[in-house]
Amino acid sequence: MKRRMVFVLVSLILALGLGAGSSLAAEIKIGVMCPLTGSWASEGQDMKQIVELLADELNAAGGLLGKQVTVVVEDDAGDPRSAALAAQRLSTKGVTAVIGTYGSSVTEASQNIYDEAGIVQVATGSTAVRLSEKGLAKFFRTSPRDDEQGKVAAKTIMDKGFKNVAILHDNTSYAKGLADETKAILDANGVKIAFFDALTPKEQDYSAILTNLKAANPDVIFFTGYYPEAGLLLRQKKEMNWLVPMLGGDATNNSDLVKIAGKEPAQGFMFLSPPLPQDLDRADAKAFLASYQAKFKAMPVSIWSVLAGDAFNVIVEAIAKTGSEDPATIASYLKEKLDKYPGLTGDISFNEKGDRIGDLYRVYEVDAAGNFVLLP
Amino acid sequence: MEQFFQQLTNGLAVGGIYALIALGYTMVYGVMKLINFAHGDLFTIGAYLGLTVLLSLGLTDHLGPLAGVLVLALMVMGLVAVVGVVLDRVAYKPLRSSPRLSAVVSALGASIFLQNTIMLIYGARFRVYPHDILPKMAVNVLGLDIPLMRIILFGTSLVLMLALYFFIQKTRLGTAIRAAAIDQGAAKLMGINVDRVIMLVFIIGPALGGAAGLMVGLYYGQVNFTMGWVYGLKAFTAAILGGIGNIPGAMVGGLLLGVIEALGAAYISVAWKDAIAFCVLILILIVRPTGLLGERVAEKV
Repeated sequence: MKRRMVFVLVSLILALGLGAGSSLAAEIKIGVMCPLTGSWASEGQDMKQIVELLADELNAAGGLLGKQVTVVVEDDAGDPRSAALAAQRLSTKGVTAVIGTYGSSVTEASQNIYDEAGIVQVATGSTAVRLSEKGLAKFFRTSPRDDEQGKVAAKTIMDKGFKNVAILHDNTSYAKGLADETKAILDANGVKIAFFDALTPKEQDYSAILTNLKAANPDVIFFTGYYPEAGLLLRQKKEMNWLVPMLGGDATNNSDLVKIAGKEPAQGFMFLSPPLPQDLDRADAKAFLASYQAKFKAMPVSIWSVLAGDAFNVIVEAIAKTGSEDPATIASYLKEKLDKYPGLTGDISFNEKGDRIGDLYRVYEVDAAGNFVLLP
Repeated sequence: MEQFFQQLTNGLAVGGIYALIALGYTMVYGVMKLINFAHGDLFTIGAYLGLTVLLSLGLTDHLGPLAGVLVLALMVMGLVAVVGVVLDRVAYKPLRSSPRLSAVVSALGASIFLQNTIMLIYGARFRVYPHDILPKMAVNVLGLDIPLMRIILFGTSLVLMLALYFFIQKTRLGTAIRAAAIDQGAAKLMGINVDRVIMLVFIIGPALGGAAGLMVGLYYGQVNFTMGWVYGLKAFTAAILGGIGNIPGAMVGGLLLGVIEALGAAYISVAWKDAIAFCVLILILIVRPTGLLGERVAEKV
């Protein structure tokens, strides 16, 4: 009797184990590494929402290769140390590819871990040049590079006829890099740099810096840091009754910028950015925005979370077209075969380094109603 | 020269905020010899509660801008004081007889807990105060354009600091606080209810920190759940600069830190602003290890 019970139990456990095994085989796991806590938490939460939304839609439409796609999310807290831990956790969870993350230094801390684990990584908001210069075979990014942005920034400044330029960064590797790239091009073209210095991010009072800037008397300020500081600079500049135009880098592309600055101080602020989905005349981008709005009752906060959606889409495309979940196959498909994939932020192709190619940066301006308007 | 005075007013405005927050650090340290690392988050809570009360009650619509903001400030100070007392009961009181390090670790934990609670309640995005509550005009003082709001900001922090100073120096409760700061055991023998003194400290410090949070929200317009970290660090530095445990020291330290930062930004480099402030701190600590007004720690709080 006892032996029979043991036999039943063992076969039950085996059956359950096999059942679990087969259900494991019927899903494709895709990891998302993003800042769900810390000072970039709003970016990360939006990244997670977008990838999960796209995965739900994909699963509802029958999944991928007949399997369901499971999104595994890990928090990197916007911090390199947490990112290394998140990368280690994700690489033990059987993911085929990983999306993320926001912030170049954070991505950098995770790159080698994914490379050693043989996982495809598609970064979304990491624009530092060196990330793709390391020669990692399975590293990609849907965001453009800082040197591209520097060219567009310098061209914009020269096209608008500014002669006396103030450049302000915030000492992060991203903002400093962009400031240096732009300054080098402007110097080479004989444009005068009246001011070049950094502010400390996360403070609220920038009047000391603005007083300094005003004394340098520039005819444009190029600020390469992030949107919270840009918003405060605009607001406090307006309070000083100083009407000098201001240009921002792509990290200022966030709808909260206008909330922080106020509509009137933000009006006329220009910034560089990859095109927003609402500016693309494309049915799938519009459909994405409609379903996002239906679910979250708002527009995506920034371009960077949308680039996470693009990362998800290109991974899915590669798996669907190759019929394979092998990371090496996916990576070589993305580099060699993927050509002008219609993404949510424009056409996507990758070069042999894993960088996105093509004309990416546009110039936006904030109008009187606080909307971001694409300049021709 | 004009730039010098402009930067001086910039520095004093920020320094007033630092000083208000520094008072919370210094009072808790004076009485309990504990650095309350969660104090910066009480400042953040003040900013968020101010926004919530403002938007839900519409005080400034009913009472006009000045009376509305005054009522709002009193409510926020009261609410943050309640949070401060609860914080003490939950995080510090059970550890009163434990080694001092336990309470410091508990303070760090409380800070992380409060910060993430704020994020879960209010979300990670920036929250923005209405832009049109207080007048945006600038006043011309001796050839300098100074925003009126900044003068009000500085004046308010000065009034609050002086009120606290007189409370500590001239009232019976203030005397009790000073006595408990010198020697808790002896104060108990003299019939002072030390538990009540500690509660009082956790009412006044957080109330002032909350007021600073509300002022920052009203003036700078945007609040974020991480804002307490930078302000907390600066205020902590200011408290050390002035001599931690010393109330006039916290005021002087706060104002001085603000001015050093602004002048450092003006004449050396904007990027080195914080480094300059911390270098001055280190220099002062080398020359006067107890801070600027620190020698009086043993006698007064």
